[in-house]
Amino acid sequence: MHRLGGVGLAAFERQQQSQRSFNELSNEISQAQVQHLHSQLDQFRTALLGFASTHRESIRKDPAFRLAFQRMCSTIGVDPLAGPRKGGWWAEVLNLGDWQYELGVQIVDVCVSTRERNGGLIEMGELVRLVSKLRAVDEGTITEEDVVRSIKTLRPLGAGYEVIDVGGGKKMVRSVVKELDADQAVVLAIAQEESGRVSEEMLMARKGWTPERAKAALENMLLRDGLAWLDAQDEANGVAYWIPSAMHWDE
Amino acid sequence: MASTSFSPYKTASGFLLPSIHSAPPFFTQQPNLSTQITHTAHWTRLILSYARHRQLFLLRVEDAETSGSNWDEILKNERINRKLLPTHLSFILADMVSKNLAIYEPVRQTRSVLLYWRTPEEWAEVLHGWADSTGQLNTILTFYDIVEPPVPSPLVGLPLTMLRKAIAILAKTSRAQTIAVADGEGVRFLSGNTTR
Repeated sequence: MHRLGGVGLAAFERQQQSQRSFNELSNEISQAQVQHLHSQLDQFRTALLGFASTHRESIRKDPAFRLAFQRMCSTIGVDPLAGPRKGGWWAEVLNLGDWQYELGVQIVDVCVSTRERNGGLIEMGELVRLVSKLRAVDEGTITEEDVVRSIKTLRPLGAGYEVIDVGGGKKMVRSVVKELDADQAVVLAIAQEESGRVSEEMLMARKGWTPERAKAALENMLLRDGLAWLDAQDEANGVAYWIPSAMHWDE
Repeated sequence: MASTSFSPYKTASGFLLPSIHSAPPFFTQQPNLSTQITHTAHWTRLILSYARHRQLFLLRVEDAETSGSNWDEILKNERINRKLLPTHLSFILADMVSKNLAIYEPVRQTRSVLLYWRTPEEWAEVLHGWADSTGQLNTILTFYDIVEPPVPSPLVGLPLTMLRKAIAILAKTSRAQTIAVADGEGVRFLSGNTTR
């Protein structure tokens, strides 16, 4: 006590005084810091707004640019789609949220309208092609990555849309809740290579399957899942199976 | 590997076949019920639109058995060497009859149908419209005058079964009257009170 500022009421007064001063100073400093931060944020926001409004068209139209932009966003830990409900300025400024949701709706449209013909399984390239057609944009404007990202935004709907890797760099999108076993994935992969046609003989020759295994896999897809069509007039094998989702349809 | 794509195809008669017609399994009756339902729907649409295109009214199971019928362009696809089998056609026809898109003609057999690419109600309107626009209201016409008119009309070749149904419908609203004429059946169309 003595060392700090003497004795008595005056000392107490003085101590209070310095305490206040320190408080004020600290307030000033943090206020300055907050202000600085605010101005930085404002700058950042302005810069982003500028960037967004300058490049909005490119972001929406050019897939390569969009990809680069999305990568940049994820590097700095920002989600360009962060909910249009809250903090929506980001999505609003870019209109990218709408873009992505719109794409989602169109993906659903294509998946549902082709379901009767492909059993709820569509090849990624075909989906991209049909969505592009629906939007009346050139092929290449919408990429697989865009579709994959949009399908993620559909997840909360619980409709079971899922991207499946069938191997060989081929992806398919499943719009019905159906479990695919490993053998069916193999059949799908072969069908992809063969424009849709698969036979028991093919599976036996290429995969070393027994006739029973080949027949079971194909019959399951045909009868149980409705993912295959039967051709009883096949020239080579008498009977062949066709996987409509692996067939390329020109409308 | 093989990159076949399935595309629409224009036939010699100018009919545009849908792309599914170039898919080999389309010509096989599908064991999966829901697949067959959609295939039957495709076949039904194809048959009716082709019939309309060629003004065909009758389709027989035997059209799938023989060559050279009016229906070859759709019942066969020589580019992929496939054809619709008679049993499959018979199945499709039965489905069309059950959906009132065709009737068995003649009755009491299942190997030949009269196609309803226009319903009898629609034919009734076409018929009345034709009589009206050609100034033949209140005139007695034989059935022969109607289905083999001197000037081509949309009614050329209309089967008598359909003609009778259409006249019966018009008669209900007093827009037609059947009359016995010397050489068979005749009809007089009236303007009626319902001018639709």
